[in-house]
Amino acid sequence: MNLKHYSYFTSNDFKDYEFYSEGPKGRIKKVVLFTRVLGESTFYNLAFGDIDPDTGLLDDTVVTDNDDRDLVLATVANTINTFCDRYGNHFIYAEGSTPARTRLYQISISALWEQISLDFDVYGFNDGEWRNFQKNVNYEAFFVKRK
Amino acid sequence: MPVIKKEVNETQYGGAIIDRNIKSHASDPFVLKKVEKAKQMVDKFGLPGDKKK
Repeated sequence: MNLKHYSYFTSNDFKDYEFYSEGPKGRIKKVVLFTRVLGESTFYNLAFGDIDPDTGLLDDTVVTDNDDRDLVLATVANTINTFCDRYGNHFIYAEGSTPARTRLYQISISALWEQISLDFDVYGFNDGEWRNFQKNVNYEAFFVKRK
Repeated sequence: MPVIKKEVNETQYGGAIIDRNIKSHASDPFVLKKVEKAKQMVDKFGLPGDKKK
């Protein structure tokens, strides 16, 4: 995968990542966080969003609209690569905070599919099943696994 | 002349820059909610390729 992306920073444990979106709305800090989920199946959840300047907490309900959607997604994809370098190729779950946000993820994955599909298997959830990702199909959630 | 020692907080790992000052958001309410929702989803529908319903 060779996508133009922002420089990004990671914590000592390689689970928290930060980068800055730059565009018409200014320089906005973005956070990507991987959390191990233990249940009947073990996987990692990917949380992604902005830092609320008032609370300092991660929140993905904020609409940044900084004209850099694909650059942002490419950076998130690169954080997944770094995470997998450290922890191995696990299933990673991602879902937007709203159906509209999840659809934005789908649009960005579709836009970058040629490159993303080189490194990752991507699955979308709809009609009660996980299916191989296809462009122009709406999904409720995603799983990503590095090949 | 005094020597000023500057502490370096950043090193490189693959494409990432390691920054010891990054705060973990693992306990933020938004994250906990997302993790719980993901767990419920996978407990119910499994992982891709699983046969369970």
